[in-house]
Amino acid sequence: MEKIFQDLEPYSVPSYSNWFSWSNIHEVERFSLREFFDGSSITRSPRIYKEYRDFIISKYREDPSRKLTFTEVRKSLVGDISILHKVFTFLEKWGLINVDVKSDKEADNCNGNCKPISIGGEEEEEGWKGRVKVEEGAPYGVRVVAAPNSMKPVASLPPPPSVRADGGRGVGEVGENGFKWPPLASYSDVFGDSVQQEKKNVLVCGSCKEKCDSVHYEYTKEGSFILCEKCFKSGNYENKLADDFKLINSGNQSDVWTEAETLLLLESVLKHGDDWDLVAQDVQTKSKLDCISKLMELPFGDLMFGSANRKSKFLDVTGDVSNFKQAQLDFNESQESAKVEDPSHGLKDEGQQNGYADTQGQPLKRVRMEPTSNTSSSLMNQVARISTAVGPHVTASAAEAAVTALCYENQCSREIFDDDDNFIDLKASADNIEQKRAAQGNLLDGDEGPKQSETQGPSSHKDTIQINLRMRAATATALGAAAAHAKCLADQEEREMEHLMATMIEAQLKKLKRKMKYFDDLELIMEKENAHIEELEESLVADRLNVLQSIFDAGISRWRDHASVKSQTGVAVQFLIFILSSKAKSEKRIAQIWFSSQRTTLISQIEKPKSTVFLSWFLSQDSKNEDA
Amino acid sequence: MKSHSAWGTSKSLVKFRIPTSDNLVPIRLDIEIDGQRFRDAFTWNPSDPDSEVVVFAKRTVKDLKLPPAFVTQIAQSIQTQLTEFRSYEGQDMYTGERVVPIKLDLRVNHTLIKDHFLWELNNFESDPEEFARNFCKDMGIEDPEVGPAIAIAIREQLYEIAVQSVTSAKESRISKKGRRAGEFFSASKTGGNAVDLVKLFGNKSSVIRKRKEWDVYEPIVDLLSNEEVDALEAKEERNIR
Repeated sequence: MEKIFQDLEPYSVPSYSNWFSWSNIHEVERFSLREFFDGSSITRSPRIYKEYRDFIISKYREDPSRKLTFTEVRKSLVGDISILHKVFTFLEKWGLINVDVKSDKEADNCNGNCKPISIGGEEEEEGWKGRVKVEEGAPYGVRVVAAPNSMKPVASLPPPPSVRADGGRGVGEVGENGFKWPPLASYSDVFGDSVQQEKKNVLVCGSCKEKCDSVHYEYTKEGSFILCEKCFKSGNYENKLADDFKLINSGNQSDVWTEAETLLLLESVLKHGDDWDLVAQDVQTKSKLDCISKLMELPFGDLMFGSANRKSKFLDVTGDVSNFKQAQLDFNESQESAKVEDPSHGLKDEGQQNGYADTQGQPLKRVRMEPTSNTSSSLMNQVARISTAVGPHVTASAAEAAVTALCYENQCSREIFDDDDNFIDLKASADNIEQKRAAQGNLLDGDEGPKQSETQGPSSHKDTIQINLRMRAATATALGAAAAHAKCLADQEEREMEHLMATMIEAQLKKLKRKMKYFDDLELIMEKENAHIEELEESLVADRLNVLQSIFDAGISRWRDHASVKSQTGVAVQFLIFILSSKAKSEKRIAQIWFSSQRTTLISQIEKPKSTVFLSWFLSQDSKNEDA
Repeated sequence: MKSHSAWGTSKSLVKFRIPTSDNLVPIRLDIEIDGQRFRDAFTWNPSDPDSEVVVFAKRTVKDLKLPPAFVTQIAQSIQTQLTEFRSYEGQDMYTGERVVPIKLDLRVNHTLIKDHFLWELNNFESDPEEFARNFCKDMGIEDPEVGPAIAIAIREQLYEIAVQSVTSAKESRISKKGRRAGEFFSASKTGGNAVDLVKLFGNKSSVIRKRKEWDVYEPIVDLLSNEEVDALEAKEERNIR
C-alpha cells in the first residue's frame, strides 16, 4: 500500500478530511464505524477495516476521474455487504473517494434516501447494459396471462403507452397520446374525502346536468331538485310547475361589482390610499378583502396602489413600468382631451385624477385584457406591448421624442438623427423645456397640432414627459443594442457553421485521397504480379522449347520416316499454334528453332501438295521474323 | 434464554424475525383461475391487522381488472403465508455470527440479474431495500420493478435461513438438553451454507479477495430482447408444470 501511495501524485483531499493517513486509523473512523473497533465480532476488526479502507481508496485512485461505484469494490472484498456499504459511504462522505467526480443526479450521500427509481446518468455507465423501456400500466411482474391451453380470451390490458423515464436518455417512446388509466382504487381511499367535498359544493342542474352558477332555482316541494337559471328561463321544468321554484341566489355576493361600486372604490382608493378600512366603509356593500381583490383585477389597479403613494413622488423615476404606463396614459389622455389643463403644480393630483376619471371607462374597456402591470415580463416586452396598445401617432411621436432625447444625451448622435439647429442641451430649466417643446412642436408635422398644444401643457407634466422621453430613448438604445448584439451572434454562428462545413469537406477529401492512394498501391502490386506471371510464362515456354529442341535433335532421323511424318506434322502444327498463341518475347528464337527443325521436315515433305500451303506460310513467317 | 458460551452475545437466542431493519415478510403470489394467471411478489408488514389483507386483495383485483374470484384466492394465499410466518414468531432462533452467501438469480421483465455476495445474519439493521436501491443506481437499471424484486429475493432467502435456524435451534435444544458446551459448533452446523468466519476473517488471511474470485462475486445484469424473454418464460412454465 505504501508503494502505491508513493507512486501517485499528491491528491487533493477535502480540508475536513486532512486527518486521514494511510498508516493510522483516526478517531473519526473509530467513531463512525465503531462496529469495527468494539470487538463485537470476529468479522470486524481494525485490521479488517484498514484493509477495506485502503483497498477502496486505492481502487478509486487508480482512476480518480471516474466515479467509483460500490458494486465495483464489493466484489473484491469479503464481508457482510451492509458493512462494506457503510465503509464505502463513510469514505465517500469524507471525500476520500469520489472527490470532484461528476455525480449522479441523486446526491452521493443519500444513505437510504434515494428514490427507488434511480437513473444512471453517468458517462461510464452509458456503455453498460443499455436502457430499459419503462412502460406505464400494470407492471409485468403482476401479470394476467392466459394459460396456453385455455380457449378463453384473455382480458387484455390496453397497450400501455411508454413514457420516457424522467430525465432518461432517449429511452422508450414518449407517451403522447395522453392515454389515461382509470384512477387506482387506493387513490380514492386517500383522496376520496377531498373529492367528495368538491362534489358537494358544486350544484348540478337537474335537467341539463351542468354546474349551476350562483343563481339557481330550487324546487320547494318534495325532493331537492335544482334547475339552473338557463333551464328555468327556457321552461325546462321537467314536469314541475314554474311556481314551485324558488329563486335562490346562493352566489357569492362579493363577486358582482356594479359600475357604481367600482367607481366608488376607485375614488375612495384615491382619497384614502392604502387605508382599506376607510375604503371598505365607502364602498359599503363590499368587504375589505373584496375591495383589494377587485382593485387588483382592474387593469390599472396596481397603479392605484402605487399612485396613492406616489402623490408626492410624481417626478420619481424608478424605471418601472407602472410609472411609464402612467406617464404614457397621461400623454395618451392628453391627446384625447382637447382641453389643456392649467399649468400648476398644485393641480397635478387633480390632473392625475382627472386623467384617471376620464380614462376609467375607456381603458377599462379597451385595455382590460392586457396585464399591463405585469412586472414579471421584461421591460422590452412591456414596451412592445404598450406601443401596440396606443395609437400610431403616439408611437410616432414617442419615437421622435426618443430620438431627440438621445440627441440631447449624446452630441454625436445629433448629426446622425437630425441637423436641426434648434436643438438645445436639455437641462431642467423652464426655458429650455419651453424651447424644447417648441422644437418638438416643429418636428412633429401633420396632425400633431393638438399634440403640440398638449405638449406645451402644464409644467407639472413637463418633467414627467422629459423623463418619459429619456426612458423611451433608453429603451430605444437598448433595443438597438440588443439587435446589434443579435446580429453579431448570428454572424458568428454563420461563420462557425461555415468553418464546420469546411472541416467536414476537408475530412471527406482526405478520405478520398487515401482511397485513391490505396488503389494506386494496389495497382502497383498488380502490375508487379503481372510481370512476375509473364516471366513465369516465358520460362515455361523456354522449358518447353528446350525439351522439344532436345527431341528434335535426338529424333531427326525418325522424321525421314513417312509414316510418322503426318503425326509429326500434327505435332508441329500444334506447336505452331501454341507459339502463335503465346506472346513470348523469345518468339524470334522459337521461330528460329522451329524454322530449323521444320526445314528438315519440309524437305522431306516437299512432294506433298499439302505442304505448299505450309511452306508459303512458313516463308512468310520467316520474313516476318526477320523483320521483327 | 441466553447462552453462556465464551463468545458472549454472539450466540444469543432471540425471538424469530427477519434479520433486517424492518421486519417485513416477503409474500409471493401465483394464482391461476380459469386460465388467467396472476403473479406477484411484495413485502408485507406482519404487524398490519389482518383486515388489511382483504382490503388489499380487493384493491388489487379492482386495479388490475381481474375477475372477482381472485379476491378470495389472493386473500387466502396471503393469509397462509402470514400465518406460516407467525407460527415461527413465538420461537427462538440463533443469531450467532453467521455470514451467509446470498445468491441472486432472477429475471424481472427484460432484466436478468445474477449476483453473489455475503450477508451477515445477525446484523439486524441490514436493509435489503437499500441494497437494491444502490444496486440499481450503480448498475444503471431504470426499470423500477427491478429494485423491489431484488429486495424481495434477498428477503426470501433470509427468511428461509431464519426458519432454518429456528428449526435447528429447536433440534439442538432437544438434543443437547443439559449440555451447554458445543453451542458454537451447533450454530455453525445450523447454517450449512454459512461462511467459515475464522478462515476468512482470522488473522492469517486478507479480506481482499483474490482476483480470480472477483468474477464469482461480480454482479451480472443482462438486458434481454423480447424473444429471449419469451423463450425464458416458456422454459419456466415448462419447469413448473
